[in-house]
Amino acid sequence: MGLLSILRRLKQSPEQEVRLLLLGLDNAGKTTLLKQLAAEDISHITPTQGFNIKSVQSSGFKLNVWDIGGQRKIRPYWRNYFENTDVLIYVIDSSDRKRFEETSLELAELLEEEKLAAVPLLVFANKQDLMTASPASELAESLNLHTIRDRMWQVQACSALTAEGVQDGMTWVCRNIKFRKR
Amino acid sequence: MGCFFSKKSKRKSAEKENLTPTTTSADTAGNSVPLGNNTDEAPKQYSWDKREKADPKDYTLTGLKDITVGRLPGTLNGKPFVIQDCVNCNIFVLDHSATISIDDCVNCRIVFGPVKGSVFFRDCKDIKCVVACQQFRARDCKKMDVFLCCATQPIIESSTGMKFGCFQYYYPELAFHFKDAGLSIFNNNWSNIHDFTPVSGENNWSLLPEDAKVADFVPAPDPESDFKSVRISTEADRSIVPLTKGGRRKDSEESCLFVFFAGDYTTANARKLIDEATSKGFVLVQTKEVSMKPEDARRVFQNSADDLVEWINKGPVTALELNGDGAVEGCKTIASEVFSGTKIFVSDNKNTSTRDVDSFFNFADMQMGL
Repeated sequence: MGLLSILRRLKQSPEQEVRLLLLGLDNAGKTTLLKQLAAEDISHITPTQGFNIKSVQSSGFKLNVWDIGGQRKIRPYWRNYFENTDVLIYVIDSSDRKRFEETSLELAELLEEEKLAAVPLLVFANKQDLMTASPASELAESLNLHTIRDRMWQVQACSALTAEGVQDGMTWVCRNIKFRKR
Repeated sequence: MGCFFSKKSKRKSAEKENLTPTTTSADTAGNSVPLGNNTDEAPKQYSWDKREKADPKDYTLTGLKDITVGRLPGTLNGKPFVIQDCVNCNIFVLDHSATISIDDCVNCRIVFGPVKGSVFFRDCKDIKCVVACQQFRARDCKKMDVFLCCATQPIIESSTGMKFGCFQYYYPELAFHFKDAGLSIFNNNWSNIHDFTPVSGENNWSLLPEDAKVADFVPAPDPESDFKSVRISTEADRSIVPLTKGGRRKDSEESCLFVFFAGDYTTANARKLIDEATSKGFVLVQTKEVSMKPEDARRVFQNSADDLVEWINKGPVTALELNGDGAVEGCKTIASEVFSGTKIFVSDNKNTSTRDVDSFFNFADMQMGL
């Protein structure tokens, strides 16, 4: 589902401007996901040094998707982007088992952030196209998401590279945008 | 509100404060694991649910010591690869792969055939490697010598003693592996590294000496090993990836832009040009294979543009920068003697050639960044 069709669905909600925030460790596939949503070439993507943003607007409605670099050194800057986020999309490299603990810790910290309170959470269990990928259910279990009580959440298996599963995740995003308590 | 909701969820929206605990679940080892806390759909089946289950161990090298190991051509075929906790090993992954991660390895010599995605080194020390990839990443690494072909800007984080040189390698299937991995031998950003943790007054990375020989860093596999059947060469003139000067300081102020247009012989022609030019003493600085639109052509080729527009529509162009005193005249001579029947662009004179080079490669860099 591309950015424009997401926007079209949003036009039926009362929100004028919707903000999606893409976070996750470096190498998770956030930029590939962003480019996939924008229907752009994904065969040549540079590690993100700052952030990328895609904006689409139509008839007074605006959709902004922010993709922030995930290197350890620049994660402290994530907080600069929290404000007014409508849905948090957290991307995980399902094949990088060595860093499951690290990504779990980062996600847990995000869920404690006041500025992200009650913001719906979509976790993309990305890179499912790889045979070394851990299934979404295993990831969900190790992330302890079932203990979340204060917001809507969903784990979605996907491959940003092939786009499989991406639309299903974005459908959930559209349905849950209005659940954010302002 | 929300006319795009079904009747069912309209009911839910009325009681949204209750976070109705209808969940999707998936089975793992017989237990039901919730995948969400507010959707009423059964989990879908995707291609990865239906495919034959593979054992990640088949794609992993763990805890090996003092041996020569890896994968022969045709045995990995675009799959991912994981290397961890190896010490004093010679690792040859002589096939194209999806992505490779290398953790906690010490004193290893490594060769990676073309990687479609990223190569990520973490917590490694004393590594000498030859790598071709779309993305190169290193974190918490120390003392690495990397002969690199990287389609995008390589990055390092919290690493020191990182040295980079231009990819130099040959084995018979390598050219095919580049194609399989979707990588161009002409797109190689090996010399401009981005450091996420620069230290004032120090350099965490530098370039290898120009005359560094791959054979001194990563020797060919032991003739008694499984890899004896692969005809590897590390000679500079056999390298599948053309050797470029990259960010090293140029010897001359005069550079020439030479562009080939898409066609069946483009790669062969480019290699021929490189051979002719280097035999005349000129130096290959950089190359790029990139798609152009008519407006790009007008900006870059200026007066010659009209003639070339139909050619850029045929596919990506392959551009080369050659440097040296007399490079423009030298290239023009080669163009007329060797490529008289081929559609090309070559800088017209040394007063405008620098502008040609800058216009083209600035455009290419913008195009290939995000």
